Amino acid sequence: MTGIEVAGAWISIFLTICVLSFLYDDNPVYKLAEHIFLGVSIGYGVIEIYFGVFKPNLLDKLPFNSDVAWSLQSVLTFVPLLLIAMLFSKLVPKYSWLARIPIAFIVAAYAGVKLTGELNANLMTQVAQSIPDLGAVWAEHGFWTWKADGAGVFSSLFLVLGLSACLLHFYFSAPQNRAMQQISRFGVLTLMLSFGASFGYTVMGRISLAIGRAQEMLGLDRNPEQVAQINPKLATIVSAALVIGFLIVWRRRQGDDYTPGN
Amino acid sequence: MKLDTLVKFQHMDRRWIFLGMGLAILLPMLFPVNLPFKVDERVQSLYDAVEEIPAGSTVFISADFDPASRPELEPFFRANLHHLLRKDVKFVSATLWPSAPPLVLPIFEELTAEYGKEYGKDWAFLGFKDGKELAIKAIGENIPETFPQDIKGNKVEDLEVMRGFKQAKDFAMIINVSAGFPGTREYVLQIQGQYDLSIASATTAVSGPDYIPFYKAGQLNGLSAGMPGSAQYEKLVFPDGPPDGVRLLATQSVNVLNVGHLFIIVLIVLGNVAFLVTRQAEEQA
Amino acid sequence: MRSTVPLVLTFLVGLFMVGEYFIPHWGYHVITQLLLEWGLILAAAAFLLGLFNLIQVNLPKVLNREEDWGYKLVMLISLAGTLVVGFWGNTGRLNPGEAYKWLFDFVFVPLNATMFALLAFYIASAAFRAFRARNLEATVLLVAAIIVMIARVPLGESLPLVGEKLPQFMNWIMDVPNIAARRAIFIGAALGAVSTGLRVILGIERSHLGAD
Repeated sequence: MTGIEVAGAWISIFLTICVLSFLYDDNPVYKLAEHIFLGVSIGYGVIEIYFGVFKPNLLDKLPFNSDVAWSLQSVLTFVPLLLIAMLFSKLVPKYSWLARIPIAFIVAAYAGVKLTGELNANLMTQVAQSIPDLGAVWAEHGFWTWKADGAGVFSSLFLVLGLSACLLHFYFSAPQNRAMQQISRFGVLTLMLSFGASFGYTVMGRISLAIGRAQEMLGLDRNPEQVAQINPKLATIVSAALVIGFLIVWRRRQGDDYTPGN
Repeated sequence: MKLDTLVKFQHMDRRWIFLGMGLAILLPMLFPVNLPFKVDERVQSLYDAVEEIPAGSTVFISADFDPASRPELEPFFRANLHHLLRKDVKFVSATLWPSAPPLVLPIFEELTAEYGKEYGKDWAFLGFKDGKELAIKAIGENIPETFPQDIKGNKVEDLEVMRGFKQAKDFAMIINVSAGFPGTREYVLQIQGQYDLSIASATTAVSGPDYIPFYKAGQLNGLSAGMPGSAQYEKLVFPDGPPDGVRLLATQSVNVLNVGHLFIIVLIVLGNVAFLVTRQAEEQA
Repeated sequence: MRSTVPLVLTFLVGLFMVGEYFIPHWGYHVITQLLLEWGLILAAAAFLLGLFNLIQVNLPKVLNREEDWGYKLVMLISLAGTLVVGFWGNTGRLNPGEAYKWLFDFVFVPLNATMFALLAFYIASAAFRAFRARNLEATVLLVAAIIVMIARVPLGESLPLVGEKLPQFMNWIMDVPNIAARRAIFIGAALGAVSTGLRVILGIERSHLGAD
């Protein structure tokens, strides 16, 4: 690794600790890191959009380029250019109404593709797959098979009834008589099982994010040669000492005015 | 225990909880305990689907993740590349996330160099395309028109690996490493059904429960969710352990989740015990 | 005119994109591909509009020394710096040793990753403070969460007595009630998306065009 890369690794750990300082309280060190992040991430977005979309799909197709001949295809490239100009008219209040045309185009395009996608994949396929062939399920798994994670007639019926109960629960304009209330309750319990499972997975996902940062601070994500050059544990201790030192000074300066965010 | 102690306990400064969580992550990393784990059916199905791809075929990899989701998805991404490259399967990749290119291109270059694969002939990276569902629809329709240039500025129609591949359905499989939106759901909704595509997905744990219905409905032929999914896939790709120089980051980290989850469960139980005792005392008063 | 042209355009483009799914003719798909490409470019341009808006809002605050102007200046400098190194690097910007790549690896990655890593701590706090078994429904949610948390990690499989059954029961929760609930949500969302899409295409929904 070069010297600048080693310095970069130390800066990376320092910035990590700056963001983690938010756990103590919202503080200037965190705010600085947050604003650097904002600027850099928007900059990245713009660069990648330019090189990923504007350059190849628009600018390089214009007939002003030496290797692009004047043809219907190259002339049609002026259409999105015109639409972009209309979109930017939003910045000028007098002409902002022109932006309606490109906005209408985008909204219509997304509405069109989402309509067919949702109808096919989310509605028709999911409904079709929910109707079980109980004869085949009985033949393969019987009433309940532990080895197949509970597959069987019981599970197939639970799925259909649970799905129906959830859909009926969402049908708010139906009168809630006693029967509907019981069905709705079963639907809610099914939803709760699902949301509980979701919570379990979410916890797993969130902890995984923190594991990644811990790996970097302890040097577990690099090979031994890189770890010897960077010395991530030392970088972590030094960065933590600097940030904690700053927080102590900042907290003392606030004195009686300090109100913890937590 | 006094009632006001329990009430204070329920409202304790949450920075103590943050400290506990930090220790629950750091301590198992410093003092690892490696418990064995089994491979679940969805990950096995994903592995088998990739294993069945004939040598010399070409797959399309949509690498849709960012630095935040790296711990969960990069291990799968690397193991999957090893799996494909040692089977002599070629790949063409693109991404719908702007922060993915600097993340995935070095991994492509590192691993393809290891297996002696040539850019343009055995693999290509087409870069980033904005537009979300529109971009996916365009990938389904016409990839060279959607990506006229690759990440290095070469014309995509001139790449040998792209010869004969115009639409997503021309590839043997779509492998989507997906951290969120746009990702697997959008691929399934927009083009899987229309073109009857074979799609395998590796996703973050947060999205896992959402994609299980797609897997069960046959819209995905395999699903790896979160760090455990990546660890299971690493186990399948490297059943005898990793070769020299290869680190299995998910396998290394998955046991850290044991302590983290236990900590959360203890917090939930303690919080509820305090709540129930307090509520009972208030009802009796 | 100011409303009619966008409404007619919405109808034509929307109908065309819906037709793409059903009409296999190659000529139709040539036009669809063109519309999709224009849509991609416009979506990217909308991001640029956001960039101009950001500068338009924050630059006066810096120049007038308003509250937190120092942080806004840091943000604008970071933005400008990233743009300069990105355009300077051109198509080789992702090569090792490039300033753009360095900025990504050692500034963007730790900041992006740690911002999200904070969630691990907040979810622990939320689990302690907010997750209460107040009624049967909440209790069911809690129990399901605890089962999934134990069974999804190697610890669950290693537990004595329940080590074999617990992961199987967790898979049952994922394969049966989870799928039932998710499908209900998908079906409801799909019906909502279809009705909203139709309302937009037919011009009944006009909120995206703003006030007259």
